[in-house]
Amino acid sequence: MSFRDAFALALKEVMRRLGRSVLTLMAVALAACLLTALVLISRTAETEVLRQLAKGGPLASIKVAAAAPDPSQLANDNARPGSPRDLGPQAARAIGQLPDVTSVVPVITSRMIFVPGPGAGRSEPPYFYDTAVGADLRDPSLLPISVLAGRLPAPGSLTEVAVTPGYLERLRLDPTQPEKVVGDGLEMGAPRVFDDLEEQTFRALWQRTEIVGVVAQEAAPGGIVTTIEHTRRAQRWSAASDGDTGDLDLSDSPYTGLVVVADGLDRIGKVRRQITDIGYSTSAPENLIASVQRYLNVVEIVLTAIGSIALVIACLGITNALLAAVRERRREIGVLKAIGARDRDVLFVFLIEASLLGALGGVLGSLGGWASASVVGIVVNSYLTAQGLLGVHLGPSWGVLLLGVLGSTLLASVAGAVPALKAARLPAREAVNES
Amino acid sequence: MPASGAPISVQGLAHAFRSGSGSVSALDGVDLEVPPGGYASLIGASGAGKTTLLAILGGLEPPQRGSVVVGDTDLFGLEGDGLARYRRSTVGFVFQHFGLIGTLSALENVELASILTSLPRRARRARTLALLHAVGLGQRTTHKPGELSGGERQRVAIARALANEPRLILADEPTGNLDEASAQGVIELLEQLHAERGCTILVVTHNRAIAGRASQRIALSQGRIVPASNGPSADWESSGLDRRSDGGRSE
Repeated sequence: MSFRDAFALALKEVMRRLGRSVLTLMAVALAACLLTALVLISRTAETEVLRQLAKGGPLASIKVAAAAPDPSQLANDNARPGSPRDLGPQAARAIGQLPDVTSVVPVITSRMIFVPGPGAGRSEPPYFYDTAVGADLRDPSLLPISVLAGRLPAPGSLTEVAVTPGYLERLRLDPTQPEKVVGDGLEMGAPRVFDDLEEQTFRALWQRTEIVGVVAQEAAPGGIVTTIEHTRRAQRWSAASDGDTGDLDLSDSPYTGLVVVADGLDRIGKVRRQITDIGYSTSAPENLIASVQRYLNVVEIVLTAIGSIALVIACLGITNALLAAVRERRREIGVLKAIGARDRDVLFVFLIEASLLGALGGVLGSLGGWASASVVGIVVNSYLTAQGLLGVHLGPSWGVLLLGVLGSTLLASVAGAVPALKAARLPAREAVNES
Repeated sequence: MPASGAPISVQGLAHAFRSGSGSVSALDGVDLEVPPGGYASLIGASGAGKTTLLAILGGLEPPQRGSVVVGDTDLFGLEGDGLARYRRSTVGFVFQHFGLIGTLSALENVELASILTSLPRRARRARTLALLHAVGLGQRTTHKPGELSGGERQRVAIARALANEPRLILADEPTGNLDEASAQGVIELLEQLHAERGCTILVVTHNRAIAGRASQRIALSQGRIVPASNGPSADWESSGLDRRSDGGRSE
């Protein structure tokens, strides 16, 4: 019997007992829905938690400081840097050429004076000191920066900046509505000390900028994010100071730090060791991420197990329904054999019937699971946003949906094996037995 | 082309069923010969062994002792796929209960027998339609068994039995569930197809009139062949034949 004929026969049988088939299908669909939703939610939770830990950047990122390495740094995620050491393009190139290094992004920070422009509902403080973090923004995905509202400054721009939630706090703005600050003006002054023998004077190189976004960032300590071109200009201006520049926290190093991305979480340790050998201090949240990942894996396993158990129970429903069908169709199976069907033909029809129920239930359940997870995502998102945290993005995971459909089909086939074997082994004589 | 009928040769056939701790003999040393293209009726009381003999001849039950040869096939020792192939290619069954699948149309029920063969889809559809026309149901192809009368259902079953051009038709009380007129029609159809196609026919029946139409009458009693004659004689009485007239011609 061809697959097409067996499928047509199985489909007719499913339609014949529509009520029972629908109930069985619903049980499989509900279980597949539960499994898909739980896996989607747990996977999203894992991704989002790790994203929060990595502040939106790649998980395998390492921060390199313009300082000598601390001997104990490799054992710690946040090692204390040793004595200052110049970090320039040559060192960046050397690090970039290390095996297992995917990218190197230089960062320059600059201590500056900031004067917020006129904005709704605030007047204080008129100015404040903070550190501007300048980075090469051509590929922001390589940096531990996540956009909470608006966008990042355009690469190379001297007139666009992004602020962090610290800025909102400083200006006593509502942290749950970061978008309100987007579009405001911010004047940034790079200070320079002039020693006129009799007295020291400060002058600043002023730049009027516009706030284009609010971000969370871990590239370097600082409340304002701008382009590396902007902070480099400020750094050069400030570096030309005379006399006592202690308050300006000036450094001769061309770069304040580097953000290095390793080729996977498991390579971070190796890359850190190599950078230490070159002579620079490093830090990376690898231990924290690895620990959190382990816990989240446990959560995912538990949730998947709960969904799988539900699916197994639903598939036992298929076994039960098919066993009942075999009991009711003894004579029919006998007739099928009497007209020439082999044992495997009967087996095939029943297995297809079971798989059909599993596959249909799997498709319905997986779509239902995705829909349920999306609803949960919307609820969680609104809560996180209200708390001033990054929202979650719960998109369809084709892998999980496929897993739901294939898992249901496979389990249903296994569940159908016992009744199918039972049907296949029925003697052909059933055709002439008294019912 | 009609298939040539398969001769039946049974020698010393014995068959028993397990029952609790012991066994119950269903057939006990049955000898039987039906020539190719023969038309035989098998009569006997309930429990005489008619259905068991039919099941063995039809490959539904493997014989336990003795020799059973249908056409060129020795059924002794045949099992599994071998028996299935025999049932598919040599035998056509007609059941008292029709044995139709309720969800399938008349066309699909008849075609069901040929989907088990390697016949191409188009060819088997053409053959199925021809068979339904032959049994007078050319206009009822899309009707499901529930939408057909008893006589029409049995006609569908006969068409299905002929689907693979069998050399032997085994009919187990084909008129048992039919009224008199329908029974008459079904038997006449079987006889007509027998004449046209030349296949061997063995009809199990309780109906003396129907049994009397066959050219060879076989009577079973307590698992053994007993003499049977043409008329309502003492031989029929001794075979334990149910004398009720539930259709067909009166004698």
